[in-house]
Amino acid sequence: MRAFLLRRLLLLVPTVLGVTLATFLMLHLTPGDPVTIMLGEFASASDVARLRTELGLDRPLPVQYVKFLGRVLRADLGSSIRSRRPVAEEIRERLPPTLQLALAAQVIAVAVGIPAGVTAATARRPAVDSAVVAVTLVGLSMPTFWSGLLLILFFSLTLGWLPITESEGLRALILPAVTLAAPAGAVLARVTRASVLEVLRQDYVRTARAKGVAETLVIYRHALRNALIPVLTVAALQFAGLVAGAVIVESVFARPGLGRLAVNAILSRDFPLAQGIVLVVASMYVFVNVGVDLVYGVLDPRIRYR
Amino acid sequence: MSLRRTAARSAVLFLVALALLLPPVIYAQPRTGGELVLVSTEEPETLDAQKTGTAVTGLLMRYLGDTLVTKDLKGNYVGALARSWTVSRDGLTWTFQLRTDVKFHDGSPFNADAVKASIERALAPETKSPIAGALFGPIAGVQTSGSSTVIIKLKQPFAPFLDNLTDPRAMIVSPQAVRELGDRFGRAPVGTGAFKFQEWRSADRIIFARNPDYRWGPAYAHAGPPLVDRIVVRIMPESAAQVAAFERGEISILSVPPTDVRRLRATSKYPFFSYLRKGVGLFLEFNVTKEPFSDIRVRRAFNHAIEKNSVLQIGLEGLGEIAHGPLPPSIWGYWDGIKEYAPKYDPARAKALLAEAGWRQRPGGGLEKDGKPFTFVLFAAPIDTWRRSAQIVQAQLRAYGIAMEIQTFEFGTLLSKLRAGEHSAEFMGYTYTSPDIVQLWFHSSNIGTGLTFTHNKDAKLDGLIEASRRETDQTKRLAIYRDIQTYIVDQALWVPLWTNTFYVAVQPGVDGVKIHPDGFVVLNDASLK
Repeated sequence: MRAFLLRRLLLLVPTVLGVTLATFLMLHLTPGDPVTIMLGEFASASDVARLRTELGLDRPLPVQYVKFLGRVLRADLGSSIRSRRPVAEEIRERLPPTLQLALAAQVIAVAVGIPAGVTAATARRPAVDSAVVAVTLVGLSMPTFWSGLLLILFFSLTLGWLPITESEGLRALILPAVTLAAPAGAVLARVTRASVLEVLRQDYVRTARAKGVAETLVIYRHALRNALIPVLTVAALQFAGLVAGAVIVESVFARPGLGRLAVNAILSRDFPLAQGIVLVVASMYVFVNVGVDLVYGVLDPRIRYR
Repeated sequence: MSLRRTAARSAVLFLVALALLLPPVIYAQPRTGGELVLVSTEEPETLDAQKTGTAVTGLLMRYLGDTLVTKDLKGNYVGALARSWTVSRDGLTWTFQLRTDVKFHDGSPFNADAVKASIERALAPETKSPIAGALFGPIAGVQTSGSSTVIIKLKQPFAPFLDNLTDPRAMIVSPQAVRELGDRFGRAPVGTGAFKFQEWRSADRIIFARNPDYRWGPAYAHAGPPLVDRIVVRIMPESAAQVAAFERGEISILSVPPTDVRRLRATSKYPFFSYLRKGVGLFLEFNVTKEPFSDIRVRRAFNHAIEKNSVLQIGLEGLGEIAHGPLPPSIWGYWDGIKEYAPKYDPARAKALLAEAGWRQRPGGGLEKDGKPFTFVLFAAPIDTWRRSAQIVQAQLRAYGIAMEIQTFEFGTLLSKLRAGEHSAEFMGYTYTSPDIVQLWFHSSNIGTGLTFTHNKDAKLDGLIEASRRETDQTKRLAIYRDIQTYIVDQALWVPLWTNTFYVAVQPGVDGVKIHPDGFVVLNDASLK
């Protein structure tokens, strides 16, 4: 178990290295230069050159990348080009609202998606199953920038229930969390449905039924526990996806968060900031995955860690 | 029932009449207190006026800081932190007499030393100033004489200097706060403005509080402290959400996105203000070193061939004005006669000019010269209004037998292609505060490095532009700018198309809002009903 954990955590090193190298190359090879973006199109060529030198952007790319890695090893993410504040400070400020949003969305997605999936799989009437499948299709195909605006227009403007410009507290979290949860919940419902249908065909379920166990118990005690393994995998991957999906939802609902910070960093070619965010999100992704691997063991005692 | 309604109506009429008759004395003083909520699509990167490169920070500095000189609502230069100023005959020495009743938000004194320190900080290389440094760029040195006189020496005569001083990013910052706060100054700026910095919640909102000591308001507002307690600037990237929040009453003043202008106006619920963009929003520019636009007759033909009103109505949905020359009416130096002077829509004249230049109709349709058809590629940026405008121009030119192809590039890529002169014509637009913009667009020293995408080497035009920068007599300068505008129109270097009108909507409960022609909302006199 300990060896397993150690090995998984060591995997963090090549993963993060690969991710930072990929983002570094993508950022530097796409057209656009932070200095021209900062100074605007009316800047003189000498001003641009001066600022580039001061920011170290005139060095060869490999040198810049190695310098970046060297700083990361000393736990220093550098300073943002745009705001000139330490990257670590910017991220520390923006991470909590995004985690809050992603968590709330995850809770909603699980709370709605899994029961919906079970209902669809076990429904006696085919109409119920079709209805759930249809609703999930809508949830999956509506882009969040659109569904978010629809929710604002309906719940805030037409009904006047929820504020638009508030950014703190539970009331401000409802609409963004629902928007972000919709596609995730739809996926969970579908995976749960397929997984439960699969498990319900297993021998041990037939045995349980034959023993005369109540249907609810068969489903929730025997079937669901096994059916949850693939669901859990999807949910965990989704959580990291929710952090990425927060980019759009945070913009629509004007929430302070890491997603918006990332978009702005990329648009203004703020290399240190963009790198820092990618580094943090990639590490989170790896940790969540390790966590999920550990939860498998709890759900299914047959799973062993080596 | 009907009787009662009539009675009610008469009562209302009576009250209205009474209100009209009564002398204004009975109106209460504007209420003080409360907060105004503004909204910004973009978040400032810093609130340090000298370290910012963004327009949004400039807008916010209008509330937080004052400049030595400012412009009134008609665009005339008036004193702000400087009571008066003089310039030496050679245009090199500017002397400013400062106000003596001003102090910074941190309580430190505003005086000649503070002005000197503030300007020197903007110029210092370690400040890495993106804009403020360039605004003060022509300065050779700053001296003080006593506590209220500042003498600024320039390296060479530079007429746009006074205008540069009115830019919000040229505001005077508190040297004491800069010393004490160091790198944190940009998150807790200290100036002399009507509002002082209170709080900045990242990606959420910025809050300014009323400066109770403010008594040095600009001439276009009352001199005392602002009436509202606070202004809150909510940062919301999504314009549709901004409009929804405004309609719900959560936002006091909104820059209305073009897509919502007609609908919001039609509700007639909100007072609307508008102002013209400071710049030409869209023009077609020719590369004069390339066929077929090296021929001035072809360029002139284009100026007669394009019917600009359709371009404005369809490309910009009518939210703007037709442009006639290199400067819009919203920039000082604009010559009003240009409207009449500029070539008019005249298809017959256009055809005649094209024929004169040797372009003949081919039997199968389309123009040709020496067996080559009239085709060219228009370079443009992927901007919606530009794309639509390009399609109208394309359709109009087709009627003359000219085939225009449209190619769009990401803005940075577009600029580098234009610098290299790979284009024969392009769509461009600009926003700028002073007529000195003609130097950037037309002076031959900017070919290949700056914005002279015409690649036009013209000693006469260069001479006029240089003269406009040297001349410090405003009347003489105006005359030079008139000559520059007529010359550029004569040379047909552009087909100016349109300039945007921007709209601001205000909640009915807000009074005293004024729009400054430089494109910001004056809040000194604003109050809540």
